[in-house]
Amino acid sequence: MERRVVITAASAITPIGHGKDQIINSLLQGISGIKPLREDALISRFIHSKVYGTVDYPINYDFKRQYRKTMAPCAYYACQVAKEVLEESGLTSEFITSGKLGVAFGSIHGSPITQRDIYRTFFGATDNKDYKTIGAVDYLKSMVHTTAVNITKMFGITGRVISSGTACTTSSQSIGYGYESVKFGMQEAMLCGGADEYDTITVAVFDNLLACSTAFNSDPQRTPRPFDKLRDGLVVAEGAGAVMLEEYEFARKRGANILAEVIGFACNNNGGDLILPNLNGITNTLKLGLENAKINSAEVDLVSAHATATKMGDIIEAQAISNVFGDHPYVVGLKGYMGHTMAACGSIETILSLYMMQEGFIAPTLNLEEIDERCAMIKHVQKIIQHPVKTAAIQNFAFGGVNTILLIKKIS
Amino acid sequence: MTRQEIEKEIKNIFQREFEVENPGMDDNLREAYGFDSIDAIELLLEIEKLLGFELTQEEKKQAMDIRTINQICDYVEKIIRIKATSAGEK
Repeated sequence: MERRVVITAASAITPIGHGKDQIINSLLQGISGIKPLREDALISRFIHSKVYGTVDYPINYDFKRQYRKTMAPCAYYACQVAKEVLEESGLTSEFITSGKLGVAFGSIHGSPITQRDIYRTFFGATDNKDYKTIGAVDYLKSMVHTTAVNITKMFGITGRVISSGTACTTSSQSIGYGYESVKFGMQEAMLCGGADEYDTITVAVFDNLLACSTAFNSDPQRTPRPFDKLRDGLVVAEGAGAVMLEEYEFARKRGANILAEVIGFACNNNGGDLILPNLNGITNTLKLGLENAKINSAEVDLVSAHATATKMGDIIEAQAISNVFGDHPYVVGLKGYMGHTMAACGSIETILSLYMMQEGFIAPTLNLEEIDERCAMIKHVQKIIQHPVKTAAIQNFAFGGVNTILLIKKIS
Repeated sequence: MTRQEIEKEIKNIFQREFEVENPGMDDNLREAYGFDSIDAIELLLEIEKLLGFELTQEEKKQAMDIRTINQICDYVEKIIRIKATSAGEK
């Protein structure tokens, strides 16, 4: 049994704004969310990259202590977007707690801030009493599924829990596996997404691999530069995104506001190197996605590329897009605006693609000034285009050789 | 520490750490305030700070069946009494 799956609510906290209005404004105005890296009194001074996609505006949380006690910053983000999505969906509390709604949500490795505090205490301890400052709830705050289960606890959700932790494909997998859960009748609805908090350790990891941007430390808003000749690496970022997926007939009968349909998902692995981008692997992912959606490549109007602005990654992705889609669809690298929001990027980029689909425009790839000739075989967007988007493909790739593609379609 | 002082301190802890204002002395803390096993562990840490000494694992385990503020006060009184007796024997 294959059922249709639709998106009935979406929300995101990003370096370029919280919620649809702010985010669209940033896309239309070409506003970057990249800021100087904060001093962390630990490792920031050793990191060469001094930029970060930062959520630097206040968020008015109103979570009660009984929920806050197990929440690290990533869970605050996750629960906030989950709350907004549940409200927007209009689903009743009876349905939410019925077992018919599940959660697919993740972060790349729980809460690094909490983990850092544990290690600081552990290695700095001089006697037994010091260990007592490791809190009873630190594990609950830092485990890899902390975002998912803080959501289930806060809203009394009793359906299945899927908590992918596959680095940069975490939340594209959340949406993909959530889609499959509804498509194949395991749940009536799935709340899907990802969240990651401000974390300098992640910057250090990519910095050590020479994958971070360092050439624009004094001018953060000019980086990252997907597909641009001057790109010099990714910029780590924080944020969260969530969508509500529902079975189409259920959503239609209850009068839900249907935003778009998820028509396909594919995930595969390169079967080899854990870091290097792989043309065959990615090309196959894109083909599998189209097969899954039962559409041909000409039907895709917009590709949201993973496009982290690394030297090789962007070239391989451009080649894969060219192999599968030719030069037909517009291609945008949304990380140009906010950097790489890690576990959240798949969901945030899906939501931004959805917004552009709803509003009938395509945002340019920010900082794409001179296209690298090795990436020039696809249709880049360098200025705002008023263009209807009927079908969008959202591509994400992760360390470990994991590749995903999601396909969403406007409901006519 | 008198019973009255213990009650006052415990109520302060509940207000400060658990955001529970004026709990009834015999309220079931789990049912009335969602007080759970995580809170119980946090409460024991606060009780250690209040008493100025560490509780043994055995003493902590004895606290796990506590359900009301009155029972917490009984527990603290008992710990103080045992400690005083133990100090007197030495």
